[in-house]
Formats: sequence, structure tokens, C-alpha cells
Amino acid sequence: MAGRVLDLALHLLDRQIIDTDGNPVGNVDDVEIDESGYVEALLVGPQAVAGRLGGRLGEWLAFWTRVLQGGTEPTRIPVDLLTDLGSHITVARSRTELGAHRNEDRAREYLIGRIPGGRREGE
Amino acid sequence: MKRLLQVFLGVLTAIGGFVDIGDLVANALVGARFGMSLAWVVLVGVVGICLFAEMSGRVAAVTGRGTFDLVRERLGVRAGLLNLVASMLVTFLTLAAELGGVALAIELATSVNYLLFVPLVAFLVWFVIWRMPFEHMERAFGLLGLALVVFAVAFWKLGPDWGSMLHQASHPAVPDGEGHPTYWYYAIALFGAAMTPYEVFFFSSGAVEEGWTKKDLMIERINVYLGFPLGGLLSIAIAGCTWLVFMPAGVEVDHLDQVALPVALAAGKVGLAFVIVGFVAATFGAALETGLSTGYSIAQYLGWSWGKSVAPVRAARFHAVVLVAIVLGAMLILTTVDPIMVTEYSIVFSAVALPLTYFPILVVANDPGYMGEAVNSRLTNALGTAYLGLLTVVSLAAIPLMVATKAGQ
Repeated sequence: MAGRVLDLALHLLDRQIIDTDGNPVGNVDDVEIDESGYVEALLVGPQAVAGRLGGRLGEWLAFWTRVLQGGTEPTRIPVDLLTDLGSHITVARSRTELGAHRNEDRAREYLIGRIPGGRREGE
Repeated sequence: MKRLLQVFLGVLTAIGGFVDIGDLVANALVGARFGMSLAWVVLVGVVGICLFAEMSGRVAAVTGRGTFDLVRERLGVRAGLLNLVASMLVTFLTLAAELGGVALAIELATSVNYLLFVPLVAFLVWFVIWRMPFEHMERAFGLLGLALVVFAVAFWKLGPDWGSMLHQASHPAVPDGEGHPTYWYYAIALFGAAMTPYEVFFFSSGAVEEGWTKKDLMIERINVYLGFPLGGLLSIAIAGCTWLVFMPAGVEVDHLDQVALPVALAAGKVGLAFVIVGFVAATFGAALETGLSTGYSIAQYLGWSWGKSVAPVRAARFHAVVLVAIVLGAMLILTTVDPIMVTEYSIVFSAVALPLTYFPILVVANDPGYMGEAVNSRLTNALGTAYLGLLTVVSLAAIPLMVATKAGQ
């Protein structure tokens, strides 16, 4: 993927990221850029969204994320893991390996997994 | 036969959009007050929703992306959030109203106060979303909702003067005793009802749930061009029935039982049975549509996994959102707020959110990088652009008209 010229806002930001098993990881909430302007990594998580939202709303989101998730950093996906850029972005790792599934785990542990039928297979 | 069963995504989507609890009453009210003079609005709305639902379904089939994915991607994180908040407000209010609507329809049959049924209805709506496979769900409620075709039969049996009806519909004029602002307020309400954003959220996400691909574009189009015109037809038939029965007597329509009365007059007990089944199925279907749409939109905006076709534990946040929305909706209705009033307001608010939803769909459906050969034709682009202009005017006029007419009084 190195060296492709892309319009950052149009081709990367806010796109859906899919992991190697076809599961959604999240959206590209922000990107990390090195000094010479190359994209180094994609960032996923409310911490990254807060920075882009800015203003009161951004501060509010950052505050609640700190309260609920401790001082965690957003999930960082280095660009060399990207395998495809299209209507979505594919990553060569599973979302567990990327560590981008903590809230999903919580919703499962505390609510959905406890409802009868919650642990069945998909259709 | 299998092919025939594949059209019910479109049918259910349209029933939820055109003949949900608010629209059942709004159509009847419009018929009684304005006759056929607003039928043209339904036509304009049907063309518009066909146009954009077809685009959203096509994008979903080609790329596997639901509509709110596109909204965030093209509007960015801030404007996307504004749209999310606005459309979720509309969708949530409609969901709440439908829970009351199903209960009101049961009250018609049982004469037991609707509030007693609300918790049960809310549970059943959640249970169907939780357990029933998507295709069974759309077929069951789409098919039962077709019972509302009895309005078309009743209209025919009431024996309108077809010539004067066509004249009224094709030469619209504001009836005596009604002001221009009220006329335009109801025009916007009907248009907003035809084009409510949750229809495209549901339709596009349903296309992903059913696993449609490029090969299914023909089925996708048949769904659109059959479902939405049918919804529009039902909506005009309801207005037609109340026009013939209530307008000469100068009666105002604001209750569900009044909506059913013309059918009872024209088609007797059997007709009435059809109406009640149709009311229950249509409002229940609309509750499913709006309940799922809250989950689809929020999950797509935030990039979560979503849908009924994956195992619940793999879309845990999606199911959590749907569950919370249904519980809150039931609580709102249990405060004894009038469900019909709730949807009438939400339709007008939805008119405000329309351009923010349809603009990203048009942009993406026109992007060859996304769509390859399935990109918009020139005609589709021209029509889409014209409709965006119209939607912008409607969204700007909606709130001022609502204030000026005190919500159509």
C-alpha cells in the first residue's frame, strides 16, 4: 500500500474497517501522520473521535471516555496491515488481535449473552 | 413462487413508511378535509422514495454498506452526528408511536384500553427482532399488512364519481374554508411521511441482511417499484374513503376508529376484520422497521457489527441499542401521551432531516470508484438533483409552517 496518493478526507477518514474474518472493527476515526506527511496508522475509538469533533462536544466525549475506559489510547492500526482500500478498508488481523472489541465484549458479558437465546449461532 | 416471496422487503418497508399509525390517521384526516386535492403530493413522494430507496439498495447490494455508513463517510464526523441525532429522534418517536399504534388497533377489536397492551406489544416487537429470521419477519408482516388493500376495495364499493375525482386530483385547489398555509402544511406532512429517512435505513440494511449482491439488482428494483407505489396507493385509498364518507358531513378525523369506519360501511364485518388485521400488521411492521433502524443507524455510524443475520453475541451492541430503544419507547407511550400526535410531529421533523440523508446516497451512488458499472444513469442523477432541491425547500419550510398553522389546526 506504500506510496499511494489519496485524498485523506475522501478515501480514508470515516471509512468502515473490516478485519481479516470479515467483522467490522470500527470506522477510521482519525489518522496518524509522520513529519513528511505519510499516513502511519489509522486510529479507532471515541478518544480519536473526540479530537476531531472539537469544541464542547469533543471535550464532553473525551471526558466520558476517560471516566468509562480509564486512560486508554485509541486502537492503532499501522498502515502496513491494510490489505485493501475500497468501499471499506480491510486489515490483515482479527479484531481481537487489534484490541478493538472491548465495548462489544462488555455489551455481551453484561447484557446480550445473558438473555436466553443470546449465545445461538447466526442465521 | 420463491421469486414472488422476495419482494416483501420492499413491501414491508413501504407499509412502515406510508401506512404506519401516524399516516393512517394523517391520510384519513387529509381525505376528510382536503379530498383528493393533495393526492399529487403522494405521487411526488412515491417517485422520490423510489428514486432514493433504489439508489440506497443498489449501493448496499454492490458494496455491502448500509445507508448510515455512507452518511458518516460523506458528511464527516460532525455533520454525520447532527444527522444521526435528528434521524434517531424521528425514528425513536415513530417507534414509540407504533408501539401505541399496535395497542390502539388491538383496542379497536377488544375495547380494552390500549395502555394495558403496550408492555406486551413492546415485548413481542423485541422478541420478533431477537428471534425471528429476517426473511420470515418481512414476509409475515408484509403479507398481513396487505390486508389494508381492503381500503381500495371499499373505495371502489363506495362508488365515487371517477370523473370528478380525477378532476380534483389533477386540478388541485385549496378547498373552501381551508387556508393556504394549512394546505401546504399537510402537503409537507404527506411528503415527509412518504420519504421518512428510516425507510432507506431499513431497506438498505435489509438488503445487506438478505445478502443481496450485484446479481440481485433486478430483485432490488422489483422490490422498490412494487413496494413503494403500493404504499402510495394504500395511502390514497384511505384518503379517498374518508373523502367520500366524512367530507360531505364535515366531520374531522382524529381517531383510528374513524379511519376504519368507511370500510365497515362499504364492506361490512368482513371488511372490518381485514382492516383490524391490516392495522395491527402495519403498525407492528412499522415498529419492527423503526426499532431495527435505530440499531442499524447507530451501529453503522460508529462502525460496529450489526444485524439479525449474525449471531447476537457478535453484534451485542447493536442488540443492546434496539432493546434500549424499545424499552424507552414503551415508557414514553405509557406516560399516556397521544401516539398519533407523536407521529404527526415526528413526520414534520423528519422533513427537516431529509436532505442530510439523501445527499450522501446520491453522491455515493454516482461514484464509479464505489459502484463500478452500477453507477447512476444520467436520468437518475438529474432526477436525484432535482429532488434534493425540493427536499431542501421542504426542510426549510417545515418548521415555520408548523408554527404558523399550529400544526395544521
